[in-house]
Amino acid sequence: MANRGNQAGTATAAAGGAAQRPNGATQGKICQFKLVLLGESAVGKSSLVLRFVKGQFHEYQESTIGAAFLTQTVCLDDTTVKFEIWDTAGQERYHSLAPMYYRGAQAAIVVYDITNQDTFGRAKVWVKELQRQASPNIVIALAGNKADLAAKRAVEFDEAKGYAEENGLLFMETSAKTAMNVNDIFLAIAKKLPKNDGAGGVGGSSGQGRRLDRAEDGNKPASSCCK
Amino acid sequence: MLPSFKANKFSGSDSEPLTSTAAETDSSNNCHDAIPAHLNQKADSELSSPDVTAHRSSIATGGATPIAARESVVRYQMALRETAYTDLRQITIFLGTYNVNGQPPTSGLADWLSIDKDPPDIYAVGFQELDLSKEAFLFNETPREEEWYRAVFRGLHPKGKYRKVKLVRLVGMMLIVFIQEKHWAYVRSVASEVVGTGLMGKMGNKGGVAIRFDLHNSSICFVNSHLAAHTEEVERRNQDYLDICNRLVFSTTFPSKSIKDHDQVFWIGDLNYRLSGDLDLLRVKELLDQNNHQALLQYDQFRAQHAAHKIFIGYQEGPIQFRPSYKYDPGTDNWDTSEKNRAPAWCDRCLWKGDNVQVKDYRSHPGLRMSDHKPVSCFLECGVKIIDTVRYRKIYEEVMKKLDKLENEFLPQVSVDSTEINFGKVSFNEGATKVLTVANTGQVPVQYEFIKKHRDSNYCKPWLACEPYTGFLMPGDNSYITLEVLVDKRTAWSLNSGLDELYDILVLHLDGGKDIFITVSGQYQKSCFGCSIEALIQMHQPISQVPPETVCQYEKAAYPSVDPGNDSDSKQPVLAVPKELWFILDELYRRGMDTPGLFEQPGLSSEIAAIRRTLDDSLPDTLPGSVHSVAESLLIFLETLKEPIIPFGLTQKALDGCTAFASCKMVYTSLPLSHQHVFKHIISFLKEVLLHSNKNGLDAKTLVALFGSAMIRLPPPKYPLGSSISLSQNQPHLDRKRTTFIHHFLVNDLDD
Repeated sequence: MANRGNQAGTATAAAGGAAQRPNGATQGKICQFKLVLLGESAVGKSSLVLRFVKGQFHEYQESTIGAAFLTQTVCLDDTTVKFEIWDTAGQERYHSLAPMYYRGAQAAIVVYDITNQDTFGRAKVWVKELQRQASPNIVIALAGNKADLAAKRAVEFDEAKGYAEENGLLFMETSAKTAMNVNDIFLAIAKKLPKNDGAGGVGGSSGQGRRLDRAEDGNKPASSCCK
Repeated sequence: MLPSFKANKFSGSDSEPLTSTAAETDSSNNCHDAIPAHLNQKADSELSSPDVTAHRSSIATGGATPIAARESVVRYQMALRETAYTDLRQITIFLGTYNVNGQPPTSGLADWLSIDKDPPDIYAVGFQELDLSKEAFLFNETPREEEWYRAVFRGLHPKGKYRKVKLVRLVGMMLIVFIQEKHWAYVRSVASEVVGTGLMGKMGNKGGVAIRFDLHNSSICFVNSHLAAHTEEVERRNQDYLDICNRLVFSTTFPSKSIKDHDQVFWIGDLNYRLSGDLDLLRVKELLDQNNHQALLQYDQFRAQHAAHKIFIGYQEGPIQFRPSYKYDPGTDNWDTSEKNRAPAWCDRCLWKGDNVQVKDYRSHPGLRMSDHKPVSCFLECGVKIIDTVRYRKIYEEVMKKLDKLENEFLPQVSVDSTEINFGKVSFNEGATKVLTVANTGQVPVQYEFIKKHRDSNYCKPWLACEPYTGFLMPGDNSYITLEVLVDKRTAWSLNSGLDELYDILVLHLDGGKDIFITVSGQYQKSCFGCSIEALIQMHQPISQVPPETVCQYEKAAYPSVDPGNDSDSKQPVLAVPKELWFILDELYRRGMDTPGLFEQPGLSSEIAAIRRTLDDSLPDTLPGSVHSVAESLLIFLETLKEPIIPFGLTQKALDGCTAFASCKMVYTSLPLSHQHVFKHIISFLKEVLLHSNKNGLDAKTLVALFGSAMIRLPPPKYPLGSSISLSQNQPHLDRKRTTFIHHFLVNDLDD
């Protein structure tokens, strides 16, 4: 009976002591991470999530008034990463509510619209805020969305790329409309997230589920996932 | 926090498997034949279960340990699809059983263990009566374990390189499992257990020992047992077997497993079933001399019990073509000639259960003469399920995708009829309500709640309330939430001063799901009620005609403690006392002094509102409403002053010194000038009222009680200057001190 999960690697692993044997402790375990999307309104946060989770795109996506929640799993070679995605409202008047969502998050995607320089400026402000207020080891990705509208480009690729490198961010230009780089950016985050951080304990199984991190100090180390 | 509905209905479903869509059901049908029986049953019952959606939603809403739940669901779903990503590979297994009658290994075991051409992949070698000593029985210690282990190891097939998987022993029962080194990397979850069924049904002189492990994707279990002896004890043997099945549980595996929970079970041992007692011993030996085993096997108790489905249901055995393994004179191949003269029997057997097992050879080994038993062995071929990594991964991802889809589909969903609620113009002390409709548009019950925002102490501003603020909604149902805005004396000043505004964002949180933001707003109509004396004496126009920013400025400048640094801007007051106070007092002087029940009879709230509006909007010659409404307006006006006439900073001093007029007067002289003026006005007014007491019926006691609480108030809990006030003062005590303080000024002359 198959009582184990992912057994990838069985064929190649060398025989050895128990510790080296294939299907070690992380096999079949699912690591759960909280991911938050931030960025100015109408840059395509919800569209990116919709493309990633459901493979759909709506030309006229409704404005998000609140924080939408969805989950999506990404299978890596050795682990399975389950994202709990909080897609936040971009309108400026909801700015003060953003900490409710990025606190306790292990990953963030800051989105801007490549056809709108202002949104890139706003993205930088978000990055700064995350660096100051979010968990210190949060994985931040910068997504230059609407890459399909390259003709109307207002933010140069190299400019954003350079900024991302200076700040240690993952960076991709994406298009929720054509699906370009959408899975890739989530996959890149999944790969970069620490899977075996002992300090965090069994964060994924803590039962926090998709409860909001409402009360505690946002600066405590991010709970990691499986062990 | 979750409603009992969920707790009751969904509890315990975490570990329950999830049944899924039609497509999934198809694929599971395809691989039914390869799924262990217990899984099939589970799958069938799940599919027909009316509660399937409950399982789904419990996955969706997470339950206590969402990840653990998902992992168990994934395990189950992957098990259902096992044939789609596994291939069978044949391995060979050698099963050997030997009742050694307490003897040490005096000769080699190669004639038993390595007579086959090719080395088996796995050896499972079982012994019974390894040591018949008291020490072995009582303390479970014996040197024989090591001796026989070495003998077995030396006797293994020379062409194979073996590694011990596990050895387990209970008194005289020992089981050793070896596997060829090349397979070791694919062995996992090795575990062993023992069960004693001997004396008192518990001791280890009889019973079973077992070793289990997973090899690739197959689970394999080996059991070695020694059941009750003597021809007539068939029922005891049957019971021993059942006890072993029931009591042997591998608790170190997750989830824990019984013998039956394995793909393949190999059961060996001295099962002790004999030839039926009604067969004459001479006849037995005659048939044995003719090598007519088939005739004798008709009397085999094991076969009879097995055929009657009393024991070993589902187990198979290879064809017996060897002489009974029991009982011989030790050191010979002769049947027992001892006093007991036991009848020969096939006591020692090898059985198996599970798919893809073929017996290649089943034999005894008469050349080994150490014991009164002959060893028996069975050489088998067995199909082991090996995972194809590429196919596995593809299916695993499909399962994950399907679970994600289900999980997202069964997230709580609601819609609200509005995310912007504007109350328009809001006036002091005039509540306004709006209804927010929340509809459960999803497929699962929803628990919703307005939650606190980052750093806030409450889910909404103090001038707002939601009823109910939390609730439970079944799919398709609606909730109607009443939002009420009421600006009263607690909140008026912060709105007048611009510290706060009628604007709040509520966060409507769905347990296990998303949040919705509801923006609540309104335009507060600034009122002279809820201002400070300092600000009011800056304004000679009605407050509604003063620009709102100017009011804010006056208020912020009024008490430097509230906004330090703004002190220098404070202008000279344009009025001695707030004009509104003057208008009210004037009205009462003119109309009210002789009114019976003055201050004791309540006013009408509509009239009080009209009086307030008149004061806010104009410089009136007269005020509307009855005398009682005007009188109540006076008290409300005093109560809602940002700082009471005796400011919070002096409250303690006033209460402490209330017994002596001198100390009360000192409090008076330390009042800010504007407060002194107001105080003096009120006291003169009260004295005047008392002059008319024959008409209005008021006495000093009632009057000071009413005005005491309006003029001397306890500071709000977080008031910085009030930190020294002992709030423990009980109410009657406090009231007495307040009235005493005021009373001094009614009976003494301030200018004395």
